[in-house]
Amino acid sequence: MNELLLIVLGVLATAIQVIILVILSIISGWFLAYASIKSKIFENIYIIFIEIFESVPVITFFPVVLIIFITRIGGPLGTQLATDFLVFTAVVWNIWMGEYQAFKTVPNEMVEVTQNSGFGLFSKLRYLYIPFSIPRIAANLFPSVSDGFFYITVSEVFTVGIHSYQTFGVGSVLDTFVADANLHAIYLTLLVLGIVIVGVVLILREFSRYAVSKYTLDTDVPILKRGRSNIKETTRIFAAISKNPLSRLSRYYKYRENERHEEKYEKREKKKKYYRYVYGAVAILLLILILYESVLLALSVKIDEWHILFNRTGYLLYSLGYDYLRVLIILLVSMLIAIFLGYYLAVHKRAEFFGIPIIQTLSAYPAPIYFPFLFILTEPYIIGVFGGFTNELYVLFLGFVSTFYYVLYAFWMGVKAMPSEYWEITKNLKLGFFKKMRKVILPSTFPYLISGISSTINSAWGGLMIGEYWPDIYGTHSLEIHTGLMKTIDLATANGNIALAAWGSLIFGIIVAIYSVAFTRRMMDVAQKKYVAEEGVYSS
Amino acid sequence: MEAKLKNESVNRVILEAEHIDFSYDNGYKVFENINLEADTGKFIAIIGPSGIGKSTLLRILGGFLKPDSGKIKLMGKQLYEPTPEVALIHQSIVTFPWMTAEENVMLSMKTKDMSHDEMAEKAKVSLSRVGLEGFEDLYPKEMSGGMRQRVAIARAFAADPHVFLMDEPFAHLDELTAEGLRQDIYNILFSGETPLKSVIMVSHNLTEVLELADEIYILNNMPASIIGRVAVTMQRPRNPRSDEFNSNLDMLYGYLTPPRNKR
Repeated sequence: MNELLLIVLGVLATAIQVIILVILSIISGWFLAYASIKSKIFENIYIIFIEIFESVPVITFFPVVLIIFITRIGGPLGTQLATDFLVFTAVVWNIWMGEYQAFKTVPNEMVEVTQNSGFGLFSKLRYLYIPFSIPRIAANLFPSVSDGFFYITVSEVFTVGIHSYQTFGVGSVLDTFVADANLHAIYLTLLVLGIVIVGVVLILREFSRYAVSKYTLDTDVPILKRGRSNIKETTRIFAAISKNPLSRLSRYYKYRENERHEEKYEKREKKKKYYRYVYGAVAILLLILILYESVLLALSVKIDEWHILFNRTGYLLYSLGYDYLRVLIILLVSMLIAIFLGYYLAVHKRAEFFGIPIIQTLSAYPAPIYFPFLFILTEPYIIGVFGGFTNELYVLFLGFVSTFYYVLYAFWMGVKAMPSEYWEITKNLKLGFFKKMRKVILPSTFPYLISGISSTINSAWGGLMIGEYWPDIYGTHSLEIHTGLMKTIDLATANGNIALAAWGSLIFGIIVAIYSVAFTRRMMDVAQKKYVAEEGVYSS
Repeated sequence: MEAKLKNESVNRVILEAEHIDFSYDNGYKVFENINLEADTGKFIAIIGPSGIGKSTLLRILGGFLKPDSGKIKLMGKQLYEPTPEVALIHQSIVTFPWMTAEENVMLSMKTKDMSHDEMAEKAKVSLSRVGLEGFEDLYPKEMSGGMRQRVAIARAFAADPHVFLMDEPFAHLDELTAEGLRQDIYNILFSGETPLKSVIMVSHNLTEVLELADEIYILNNMPASIIGRVAVTMQRPRNPRSDEFNSNLDMLYGYLTPPRNKR
């Protein structure tokens, strides 16, 4: 096949898959969000589910997912579905959470207007909930599409033990060119991918502008977090009491009408209750299914293997400590850059005009695609300076380029959203840069920063997962660090030790979920209570 | 026209609340034994101190909240849930920013058996009734607060309601805009061109209430109950600077002493 055509098809296949999966997550998210505002049981299960999976990098459990799809479905379809599942889980959480939050914060007055007009489920979704969720979807689209490109290019070529799995896309096309050492085709692929990503970024920017200008609230309707319905279930009261038989007779017809009306009302109420139970039952069923699959997976591991896994748990936690240290370094460097660059971009319009699209394009360009070429070009010089620390530095760099945009964006948006009065106060008091940063800007952007830090940490794991053990990154040269949980999982996957990979992923998932609940949520609570007005928290 | 309408259907109760008790989910009792009647052609006002539950009462009257006990009846039939026949106009201006003025108004006709053209035609009529002829294609963002509130009122009109429930509809407008809108709304309400039969308005603005209302219900105490029902007999148009107006105003102030806690 013509080389250019193959490249274009590969890039388009990747881009279209990402877009389809994003659309799928948007549509599914609407119904799930609606179910969760209608049923408390559904909401509780759904939110816990999102919060756990949002904080666990999807790539860590990809080997297990891949094996499940290969064994259950098999063949190219199984591999394709596994890839799609991975990408879906990479893009979906942000969007689902955004839609859920949008649905939860629809002003009660607007809901009352739809109730007043007697709207059913689809009319409410069409005229109120879906339009209301558009700005939040637009806000979440960019990171979701970036994550989608990141993970799809990684998952298009995947090795588990002696088996290699491939799906058609830019990742697999590039892999073929690398194997043939076809430099011209490699550069051409990077260029075509770059053009498509620029196109996607421009479309997303336009869409965001359109969404914000058309769908954000213009009214003074208060945006308050709407709890579940306060409507108390009351018992039906209808008793036609009249002592006078004539009066009773004369009012007979009216009561008959009322009875019919009441019957209709009762039927509708029963239907509403029925839907609530259905939503709850679906959520419980999904939970049981997940637990059932987990138990089946656990039972498939032999007792001896469990002993080995338990014995290695200490080492896995020790390795995780190393990885947390790496994440901390990546985070500190990202924050340092974000605070200076984010501030500069927010206060310099011209720099912002050119800088933001460039940064957006760079962030959407999947790091695993260009990283090997960067590695080939720079490694001889870097090794001369950093010696044995070179590989560690590259892994930190890969983690950094995979993630630093999140905290940068968050901080930039926070500075942009600062009330003009705050700027006037800093001018009035003639505060210097550092004092202004410490006393005004950092506290007022705190919720944005926490949100950005949380995303940066979550995404850093993806970079580490890819970088800590990258066999044959070029030729027979491998990128490998000494100790790290991600490396252990990578190695276990490469050796076909799925039990160890799954165990490592599980331990990692538990620790990350605990961290998320103990740190991120607490920080968000502090931010909400102390640092900013309610609407600022929602918009962040 | 107004007098004719009133004479035709004197004392016919359109919306009534009978022995309404209501508590919040946390157990706090808001209302005790509320009784209220809105007759044909009457503009009813409900006043009371802040936080007494005026807006909550309006939502109970509209079927948006269910009382713990008691009934709401619309033209003799018990009301169990919100219906287009009882239109609620909010204190906050509720327009849908992603729809033009015309689309906003058409929203209240979506569940009716009408073609798109019929809905558009009726929306135009409703908009022109509130003085927004020629502004059909504007988005709410392109309108002033007063215009947006007119859109919300036109939307309510388009559903052909029998009763309007107005929750401090002029509170978010500046005094001049509010004054103009008040007069316009009153004239439209009882012009006889719509099926509208009665209006119940909640307000903390006593001047506004005296200007518009035929009858005033006064809420006070904790839990709230109706402590007074005043018929306003002043001739229209009412002059807020007249002695009669001011003596009525003093009488209303007299009712609205701080709520007395029974518990």
